[in-house]
Formats: sequence, structure tokens, C-alpha cells
Amino acid sequence: MTAATHTAAPRAAAADRARAPRRRRRWHRIVIPFGVVAALVTTTLVAQALDRPDPGDPGYLSPVETDDHGASRLAEALRRRGVTVQRETDTAAALRAARSGPATLFVPAPQLLRPHTLARLAHLPGGTRLVLVDPSRRVLVGVGLPLTRTDRRWATRAVGPETAGRPCPLAELAPVRRAAAERQRYTPDGTAPVDLCFAAGLARLPGAGDTLVVGADDPFRNDRIGERDNQALAVGVLAAHGRVVWLDLAGPEPPPPSPSGAPPTWPSRPDGPPGGTTTPDPGATGGVRPGTPGDGDPGGGRPPQGSADDGERPPNPLWGAFPPWFWALLVQLALALLVAALWRARRLGPPAPEPLPVTVRSAETALGRARLYQRAGARGPAGRTLRATTLARLLPWLNLPADTPSERVARAVAARTGGDPEQIEDLLYGDDPDTDQELLDLARSLDALSRTVAASAPTQGRPAGAPPPPDPTEGGTR
Amino acid sequence: MTWRAALLLAVGASTLPLWPSPFVGVLVMTGAVLLLVLVDRLLAVPPAALTADRDGDRTVRLGGTATVVLRLGNTSGRTLRAQVRDAWVPSAGARPDLPPDRVLTVPPGDTVPLPTRLTPTRRGDRPAVAVTVRSLGPLRLAFRQRSGRPATPPWTLRVLPRFDSRRHLPEKLARLRVIDGTQVTRGRGQGTEFDTLREYVVGDDVRSIDWRASARRADVLVRTWRPERDRRLVCVLDTGRTSAVRVGDEPRLDTAIDAALLLTALAARAGDRVDLLAADTAVRAAVTGSGRPALLPRLVHALAPLEPALVETDFELIAGEILRRQRHRSLVVLFTALEPGALGEGLLPVLPRLAARHRVLVAASHDPVLAAMTTGAPARPEDAYAAAAGWRALAERDRVRAALTRYGVTVVDAPADALAPTVADTYLRLKSQAQL
Repeated sequence: MTAATHTAAPRAAAADRARAPRRRRRWHRIVIPFGVVAALVTTTLVAQALDRPDPGDPGYLSPVETDDHGASRLAEALRRRGVTVQRETDTAAALRAARSGPATLFVPAPQLLRPHTLARLAHLPGGTRLVLVDPSRRVLVGVGLPLTRTDRRWATRAVGPETAGRPCPLAELAPVRRAAAERQRYTPDGTAPVDLCFAAGLARLPGAGDTLVVGADDPFRNDRIGERDNQALAVGVLAAHGRVVWLDLAGPEPPPPSPSGAPPTWPSRPDGPPGGTTTPDPGATGGVRPGTPGDGDPGGGRPPQGSADDGERPPNPLWGAFPPWFWALLVQLALALLVAALWRARRLGPPAPEPLPVTVRSAETALGRARLYQRAGARGPAGRTLRATTLARLLPWLNLPADTPSERVARAVAARTGGDPEQIEDLLYGDDPDTDQELLDLARSLDALSRTVAASAPTQGRPAGAPPPPDPTEGGTR
Repeated sequence: MTWRAALLLAVGASTLPLWPSPFVGVLVMTGAVLLLVLVDRLLAVPPAALTADRDGDRTVRLGGTATVVLRLGNTSGRTLRAQVRDAWVPSAGARPDLPPDRVLTVPPGDTVPLPTRLTPTRRGDRPAVAVTVRSLGPLRLAFRQRSGRPATPPWTLRVLPRFDSRRHLPEKLARLRVIDGTQVTRGRGQGTEFDTLREYVVGDDVRSIDWRASARRADVLVRTWRPERDRRLVCVLDTGRTSAVRVGDEPRLDTAIDAALLLTALAARAGDRVDLLAADTAVRAAVTGSGRPALLPRLVHALAPLEPALVETDFELIAGEILRRQRHRSLVVLFTALEPGALGEGLLPVLPRLAARHRVLVAASHDPVLAAMTTGAPARPEDAYAAAAGWRALAERDRVRAALTRYGVTVVDAPADALAPTVADTYLRLKSQAQL
């Protein structure tokens, strides 16, 4: 609307318009490749983050989950090896099972455990092996493992069993030649005796009951267990004893029940861990998480799709974070914005169209030819043109016919200007210039020569550079 | 709806924390605002009850300012509150006295004048495009606006050429009077046409004494001569593609129009009959110089709306038109460009027919950039290349000029700013040499 009513000076606008597309094209040249690369990188990062299984996902590394992020194939392989797989969905039951005899306690998602459970893991009886998958720093400290997490790779890499050139001391992993085990690397704290394998992606802490920490979940997952020697690694880690207690948690470990209803051998702490993320807020949400121990359904901790107790997802806690009037305010402001958009959308009349005059200058072809000469390095043709036109101007001034031999022209010019005839002949009939500088010198000399001749011409006071007019022609007045 | 409705909603949103049930509050307030908007819209003056007509200047010289008044009438029984936009093409340089974002109030049955000042930036016809009226309700929460209501009163402002070269006119007229013999500054009037016999006074050229007439009378009589009068001059403007390019700061056609106007003013004063023809593939304008006193204004009006067309000029048509219209020998001044392609293929084949009956003058302007390219002392290698290209372009033009000259055509090739005086000088020279 404003563009149509305001009339810019069209000539300035025309000049701007001529420059603007070139500038925009130059801008595009930078932005488009970088934009494509940035979009590719962003897409890759987002896709990788979405694709990577999260320990909190339902069915993550579960022996009964047959999806890509489950571990049913690992459980099957263990059973084929003659190992008993005892799946537990409750930490207390799992700990009880692990204490009942020599066993391997496999915790695929240790970050879901509460601190006091982690502390209990540190006191497993001898002869029990504890296997932790990619524990966080909190877990390492909670279990009391003298390990520090060092660099973490963006994606898991398949490596051999050596670490810094030393072979892996674990005998059960001898058949593993190459497995996807290097993602999170570990170093021992101080001088603690720690066996590192797979480029420090797997650490064993010997003790009464040894503890194994694996920095990558890839060897256990259904989608990657078939690659290289991943299955041999996973089975070797877990099949040390004839029984595997598989702690398969559906979500973060629930808080201990109230002291009154505490199960036996559970020294529950009434304060519990801080952080109300798992605390059901009856006022705000009112929902009950599936798999809560209060359900008394140990086998239904990981229910199949649709068979949950109420089938309802928990509402987003963001809704409860602000008072309802805040959301109503947002809705009304959005409505106000919509009204403003409707107001602006109706323009006060259509734009006024107008055919524009041509903006091409009449000297455009000559300027374009000059640039073409320069780009092609056409010094020879340019020099010849300059010489020919200078001669065409000089000859009428000197009253010489067009086919005068070169020496006579040079003599006549020299007589008029007082120069050296040989130099002038070389200037007017010499070789083509080879460099831009030679061409420039030639153009300058010819220009000076024609100016001198024109100034000394007694009868014709025409300024230099004006084309000699044929007789009955007017014009050229400058 | 207007920004007031949006503001009302936004302000209402701030009361939401006080509502017992905020979402009900949203519904209530939105509904209330919508209701107000609806009522306000119904109370606005319907656009069909408005009338519009125009009054004001029809022509303006390029560079001047014209005023066109739009009269907006309110035939309804309610007070009109409206935003009015009177849209002109951008090159008309319209500045309304009342900007479109201001609200205008018209009492029932009243009419208000809305002047617009126009300072056009280009020659030609500058039309008014559309009148848009946005009729607001009394609360200004809503408006009614319909395209075509009220109907846009048509108006076209004709922007006449600036005729910059009229500053050369006094000097050229003085030279014309010298040639005419009415003003003796450098000698007696030269001419070839017998005018009158008068008595000899001391100082007259003795060669002009008419002895035969003196013998019949007792006095010594001298013949007086004057330049031919009532000669014919035809200005032909080429409005094809070569006239569309920009020479200096304006299209080549504008330069040609300027020169044609100077030539016409001069020739009309010299007593010659001037016709005009503008054509590309069709005749765009034709003026015959019958009504001599008003010739120049008529010519200006005929030339003002000319726009160059991006087509190849049909010189066959032009030659045919000239031969058909001009039975007597005339001076045909052809304003075009010395383009080897356009003239070589178009003009040269028809030139013999034209030159056989008329005297032809080809007037062409060239870009001053070309002169700057060839005359400046080269300072950088680019300048040397530019000089070579410029000389080559000039050499091509010289070839065209030589080809035209072979047919006895006079060629005027001048920079754009010097075309008009050069053509006038050529005309005066031809006139003084009695070559018309």
C-alpha cells in the first residue's frame, strides 16, 4: 500500500533496481550452501537423537521386548547357553534373588535406580557379578565404584578387546575379536585395580563379587547384537554364572513405600530423595503411573500396548506449572493477534501498477564490449582498433589520402608535432601490445599524439577525439 | 475489524487473573468484542451511499505541480468516518493533502474536497488508478470497504514535455531574423525569393538595383529579397526500440521530442508549414500544420503521450506515409538512432524513394558516455579497453552515416544535450542556403 502511494524518484529507483539483483545473487551464493550444510547437520543430529533408544523408554533392554531397543535376542542366546534368565521388575525382588546364590545381576538402566538402591548394590555378596550398562556419574558414585567417566563418543565404535595395546584380561571375553563397545570410556580413580578392555569402554572391578561396567548399550540391543562379535561379548559378560537376574525396570524406580507398609528387609528412609518428578501430585495430575508397585502387579510392570490399568498417558506437567488464567491469557492474546492480522490483511486498495521505462543505456553495448575485450584479454584487437581510429582521425587533419604509406604519415606527423618519425611510425604501425600495461601506454601515447596534432592544426580547431565528419555532415559539436 | 478491536481484546486479557474461570472469561470477552465489532460494522456508512467525482488540472509541464481535487459526497443519513486513498500511478508523484491513514469526517448529505498534489516524474499520460474508501463505524472497531464503491472517477493528467531547449529559441530566432533581413546586423537580408521593390537609400547594395524598374520610374529602385517562405517541414519521430534506450537521463525519444519542438517553434516563426509524424509499426501520432497559430500547443499535446514501443520500426510504413501526405518537396527530419542494424535493414532500402522527392535530414543523439569513453585520457587498463570499444562503436556509426550520406541525406549526430540546437542550426543553415 505504501509502496504504491509513495513515489520514489524513478531514476534513482532504476539505478537501485539494477544493483539490487546482483547483490541479492551474491548474498544467495553464500547463504544457500551454508544453509544446506546447516540443515543437513541439524537433520542428522535431530534424527540421531530421536533414533537412539533412551533408557527411560518402555521395553529398553528388556528380555521380553522384541523391538529394536529390547534384548529378547540376548535372553534367547543366554538360554541356549544353558543360563537361567530370571526377570525381575522390582528392585527389592531382584536384590533378594541375587543374594540367594551365585548369580549375575544385570542392570541395563542403572540411572533409573534411587540412591539407596545403588548403595545396596555395593554390598552384594561374593560370587555375584554386577553388570551395569552405561552408568552415569551419579550411579558410579552411588555404587562406590572407583571409576571416572572420561570422553564420550557421539556414536558407538566397534573396537578390538585391547586397551592401550594391552590385551583384555577377562578370560570369558577371549572369543570376542571386535565388538561395538566403545562409546563411554572410563579411567580408574587413583591406583584402584581395574581391568580395562575394548579401548576402556568396558571396565571390571575385581572384588568379592566383581563388577562390570559397559560403556555402550549396543552389544545388548536386538538391532545390533548380530553385528560382529557383539553377541559373544554380551553373552560372555552375563554368562559368568549359571543364572542371570535381569532387573527390568519400566520407568524410574518408585519411592519406597511408607514406613508402615514397608516390605521386610527394606530400611526405608522417610525423607527419600529430593525431586518431585516421580512423586504423583494428586492435585495437579491425579493420574497413576503404570507399573507403580501399589498396583501389586509384578508381572504387569511392562504391560503390552493397550492393556495398561487405565490406558491414559500422564498429562504434561507443564499444564500444572502455571495457573489456568495464564493459559487463558495466552489464548486471548493469540486471539488479539489474530484480529490484528485480519486488520492488517485487508489493504486499502490494490497496488497501482505502471509500465516502467527502459533502463538500458544506449552506450551499454559499447561498455559491454569493453568488458568483453578485457575479460578475453583482447589486447591485439583493442590496440589495432585504437591505431586504426587514430589514423582515421589524423589523416584528414594532415590532408593525406587514406592509402598513404606509413613512412610518409610518420614524417607528416613528426613535422607537425616535432617528434621522432621512427618512434611515431612504431607507435602508429607497431606490433600488438602484449600486456595490459603496454596497451595502456599505447592508448596514452595515441591520445597524446592526436591531441598534439589537433592543437597544432591551424585551420581545424576541432578538439581531440571528435570523429572527423564527412563533408556534408553536421554534428559532433561538443 | 481494526487495531482497536485487537487492542480491546489484549487489554481485556489483562483482567483474566481476576475471573473465577479464566477460559469462560476468554469466551465472554471474545464474544463481546465480536458483538461490538458487528454492531459497529452495521452502523458504518455503506460504501454504496458514497459518491465521488473529480475536478482540477488536466495538463502539467514536466517538473511542475498540478492539483486534482476528489470530491467525496455522503448521501446517507449518517456521519461518514472514512480513510480515503486516491491511488495514482507511482510516476504521477501524488501527494494527497489528507494522508490515507488519517480519518476524515463527512456530515450527512455533505461533500468534502480532497485535493491531491501531483508532481510527475515522467512525461506522458498519468492516470488515476483507484479510489478506495474505508468507512469506519462510530466506535472505529470495524469498517466497511468494497472495491469499486464508490466508482473511481477517471482522470488522466497529461504531463507535457519539459521543452528544455526553448532556452535556445531566442538566439535561434535572432539568427533567423538576420537571415530574414528584418534585422540588419551583419549585412542585408539574404534570400532567393523576390519580395518587393523599394526606393534606393544610401547604403543599399548597388548590385540589387533593379534597372528595368528604375527605368520605368523616376526613382532608383532596389529589389528586396527574402528567404523562401511557406516551405514544408516534416518531423518524423521513430518510436521503435532504438528510441526506448536511455540516453543520459531519459529515453532517447524524449531527446527527439525536445529537438522536434524547438525545430517546430523555429520553423513556425520562419513561416514554414510543419507536419509531424510519429510511428514505429503503426502511426502513433500525426499532426498537420494547418492551423498555424496553435501549432505548437497542438504538437506538444500530440507528442506528450508518446511512449517508445519495443518493436522494430517499419521504415517502409514511414516512407509510404510521408510520400502519401507530402506531395510537395519538403524537408523530412527523421529523429532516430544511428544503429547499423535498424537503419541498414529498415531505412536504407526505402531511402532512395524518399530522397528522390524530399530533402532528408537524419537527426540522431548519442550517449554522452560514449564521448567520455573516447575522449578521456586513459588512466587504467580498463580505460584503454573502453576507448577501443567506444571508438569501434563510433566507427560503426560513421559507416552508417557514410551510407546515408551517399543518398544525399544530411546527418546530424550530436550528444543528447546538444541535439536540439544542432538540428536548429542545420535547419537555419539549409534555409539560408535556400536548400529547402
